Amino acid sequence: MSTVDLAKQPVQENKSEPKPSKWLDAYHDPVASLYTFTQCITLSDIQADGDWKLIIADLGSGSTNMKLKVYKGTDLISENTIIDLPTGVVTFYMDTHEPRTPAIAVASGPFIYIYKNLRPYFKFTLPPLEVNSMEEDLWNQVKEGRINVYVLREMLEGMRTDGTTLTVRSLRYLQLTDAGDMIQFCEVYKNSPLKRQTVITSLNTLKKSMSEDDAISCLVLGTEDKSIYVLDPEAFTVLATMNLPSVPVFLSVTGMFDVEYRIVVACRNGCIYTLKRGVEDISKNCIELSSQIVGMERLNKTIYVACMDQTLKCFTSKGKKMWTVKLPKSITTIEVVDYKPRGFKAILVALSSAEVHVYKEKYLVDIIKTDDIVTAMRFGRFGREDGTLVMCTSSGGLLIKILKRSASFEEKDMSGGPPASQNVKLNVPKKTKLFVDQALRERENGVTMHRTFQRDLYLLRLNTARQYAKALSNSMNPISTDPSEPLKLSAQIQGIGPTFKLTVNLQNTSLSQASTKLHITFDYDDKLYNFRRTYIPVPMLVPGLNYAFETYIECLNDKGVSDTVKVYVLRENKSVPIITGVISMPVSETLVVV
Amino acid sequence: MDPLFLAYSYFRRRKYQQCADICTQLLEKNPYDQATWTLKTRALTGQVYVDEVDWDEEGIAEMLMDDNVTAQIARPGTSLRQPGTGQGAVSQGVRPMSQSGRPVSGFVRPGTQSGRPGTMEQAIKTPRTAHTARPVTSASGRFVRLGTASMLSNPDGPFINLARLNFAKYAARPGLAKALFEYIFHHENDVRNALELAALGTEACQFKDWWWKVQLAKCYYRLGMYHDCIQQLKSSLKHQDMIDTYLYLCKAYVRLDQPLTAIDFYKQGLEKFASDTSLSSGIARIYEGLNEMDNAVKFYKDVLRVDNMHVEAIACIATHHFYTDQPEVALKFYRRLLQMGVYNAELFNNLGLCCFYAQQYDMTLTCFERALSLADENTVSEIWFNIGHVALGIGDMNLAYQAFRITLSNNNDHAEAYNNLGVLEMRKGHVDMARAFFQAAYVIAPHMYEPHYNWAQLSDQLGDLQSSYNSAKRAVDAFKDHVDSKELLKQLQHHFALL
Repeated sequence: MSTVDLAKQPVQENKSEPKPSKWLDAYHDPVASLYTFTQCITLSDIQADGDWKLIIADLGSGSTNMKLKVYKGTDLISENTIIDLPTGVVTFYMDTHEPRTPAIAVASGPFIYIYKNLRPYFKFTLPPLEVNSMEEDLWNQVKEGRINVYVLREMLEGMRTDGTTLTVRSLRYLQLTDAGDMIQFCEVYKNSPLKRQTVITSLNTLKKSMSEDDAISCLVLGTEDKSIYVLDPEAFTVLATMNLPSVPVFLSVTGMFDVEYRIVVACRNGCIYTLKRGVEDISKNCIELSSQIVGMERLNKTIYVACMDQTLKCFTSKGKKMWTVKLPKSITTIEVVDYKPRGFKAILVALSSAEVHVYKEKYLVDIIKTDDIVTAMRFGRFGREDGTLVMCTSSGGLLIKILKRSASFEEKDMSGGPPASQNVKLNVPKKTKLFVDQALRERENGVTMHRTFQRDLYLLRLNTARQYAKALSNSMNPISTDPSEPLKLSAQIQGIGPTFKLTVNLQNTSLSQASTKLHITFDYDDKLYNFRRTYIPVPMLVPGLNYAFETYIECLNDKGVSDTVKVYVLRENKSVPIITGVISMPVSETLVVV
Repeated sequence: MDPLFLAYSYFRRRKYQQCADICTQLLEKNPYDQATWTLKTRALTGQVYVDEVDWDEEGIAEMLMDDNVTAQIARPGTSLRQPGTGQGAVSQGVRPMSQSGRPVSGFVRPGTQSGRPGTMEQAIKTPRTAHTARPVTSASGRFVRLGTASMLSNPDGPFINLARLNFAKYAARPGLAKALFEYIFHHENDVRNALELAALGTEACQFKDWWWKVQLAKCYYRLGMYHDCIQQLKSSLKHQDMIDTYLYLCKAYVRLDQPLTAIDFYKQGLEKFASDTSLSSGIARIYEGLNEMDNAVKFYKDVLRVDNMHVEAIACIATHHFYTDQPEVALKFYRRLLQMGVYNAELFNNLGLCCFYAQQYDMTLTCFERALSLADENTVSEIWFNIGHVALGIGDMNLAYQAFRITLSNNNDHAEAYNNLGVLEMRKGHVDMARAFFQAAYVIAPHMYEPHYNWAQLSDQLGDLQSSYNSAKRAVDAFKDHVDSKELLKQLQHHFALL
């Protein structure tokens, strides 16, 4: 049984005493210039001193300036450059040495970089994938000089259209269009062996054989080639590989690798799969959604999924849908709150209206308003405080809030009842006595009225047609009626005088036919105005685009007189303009003396 | 006859030029004749006299560099800058809006033609109906031109050389000082000297003369010192209740964007001068500016109870009835205007529309014909536009098309006509033409929601969902309660979110 509730704001208390916020503002830096997502933030005690640090993989500009940043309190204590775009950050215990310092794992491209004690420690590379034999053969032939660059390009193109997955090198090669570039590319790369590598899309951890907080954990990775890998933390070997029907994007892991585990995977095809130890057929436990997934979290035995259609959905671990909540704005990210000291569990939903909604079950219990859209957040222990919420905004700000220890969240069911607008009466005017009288007149003199109207209508039609024909013959129209010259003109005057700027916008309104050999000229009173350009040659007009031509007009008179100015668009060797624009010039301002 | 007597007679008959000529001759004979000197001063003032209490058009400088705003985002219904936020506002779908979101008024007066522009670019664009650009500041637009005009007519220099006057001497003689002040203020348009004289004048009568205080206020208003202006006016009201003072006070409050305070003062004024139409029409104008038409009509009706020939009140009530689905009542009011002798293209156009919508078909087209014959170049395009609407009403698409095209040939910037032509082309299936028309319409008038919505609808049909979405969003920005645009947006959002 599923219900759709419209999310409503919590009932407003009396205006005079606003409800005290449940959150304390710990830190706010609107110009921290952090650009990141929820997957790239984590909180961990990486120095084993009881002071939890904030670890953020900063995406920088998306292509440069990617950094791994570590904050102690509000101070930045370490910064490491990352070569490729980070896709996930986790911390995990990889050994049993004392003191118990966890390592940081950053997924980036096909690699996992491990940092220990804030220093680079190890780089793990995903096992290379099998290269298509035909593709390998082609590159070998290039190396031996048996085929030239064009044949290679053609063959690769053919393979791509057939649906073969190519290596990065071949794909890059297909992007080249210049022959010189292609030859150079081949020369540089033909001697190195061909490799096909995939990219990590998501990263998580899984306890190995013990369930303590500081037990050794495995890394779980989702990759672009539709598989999940489980890595051994000590030897960095692949312990298990699982294949999926689609590319995994969000991972949620519970259990222990050696005993029993469960990996919930949200995939790019809008399905959620559950992987268990020893179960091969994954299609059985599949949840199909109607919209793309923007976030997935798990609380105990329920899975919360945020979708692109502004809904938050809840499923049991068996895949049964429990409820759906429709949110007022689209969701940017979600995060789970598990505040152990008070046993408070909830879901935080960040919306594009710069709000974070707190849902306990399906009830909205609190709204945090921020001054920008939150794109990444993490709730957990930071410093020595248990309930800390770290948020990064789309403009790069960093916000840290602490959950008040006295905060209590009350759940209220705020749905139900007909909307208030149902009781509003429509404003229909009363039937006036005048109307009745006039209707009576109409009924009595219906025939004569109709005759008069018809006669007038004929006269009007004639008059209109005459005017229209006159306007056409003078080409007094800003839009051409000639199908061979589909043009539209609009002109604007800007300024307060005595110099005005005239902008003539020309548009070719046809679908396919270009206009050429056009000229713009003006008709004006030369005693009153002076045009800086009296003739503007028009280049070829491509259909659908708007071309703007500008000139300056100077008003020569300071008596507050104004006149009309005409813009003609002419075709070569034709004396009648195609279209004409008439502009009423504004009165020119004189010098201001106050 | 005594020439001075003749001059007085001319003055009373408002033949100021002749009066001034006679005075000049008299002054040549006797330059120290105070009576003649005063009369000439008054005659010269009378030539350029402007009723100060009337509303004036706000200039670009006042609007864009407004430093009198108390709150950038005012509470709903308390500011003339955000009309339509109060209770009982008319919908944009029923009554067309001006650029600022204010409904079009039934009576053209300063400040109704175009609204407060959002950007400098909008400000320096020529407003469409006015056919003149907005003045740079209201202090320059009207007064400087009048001042210079009178300077030119005096080839042998100004009548009074202000630099050589001893203001203190004149201020002590109220008879001379008052005429001199008006001369400096209106004719010379020299506010600073006028202020000096007024300050000395009010001092000379121990700050007890209400007239000098009002004059001081006028100077402060001209200089943009609205708070000082209000202070002087309130002080003047303590001495003497004057309608002018109340009107001026409210004008200052409107300039400070405090319409509700202005209404309070108008009402105070009405307690003293119960049947004064300028006060009650002032209230009605403010309500109209706030988009509270029901209140506005109530006060316009009050005006009519006292003065049943008040053109502005009749026109505004008629427009209100027309847009609230009672064209037969509006027709009655417009006929009243016609009986009163108002005989112009706009009136016949409105009569024609009312006849058409009240189903009095025999009169409709005759009215439009007469309107066309009376129309000048500015209004003829509007009349053709309305004829186009009538043609749409009777289902004659060809006639409508021609009428809208004629509208455009008379006025190239008629966004509504562009929009309607676009719809006609869309019905004919000429997609590219329709696209060009809608684009033209929304470039010219971005405040209209119709072209945005039509463009969104067209793009949606063509499968260009992205532009459809953007356009529908613009339509909602222009008219936030437009249901169809919202529906379209919802549909598109659903479409985008769907897998």
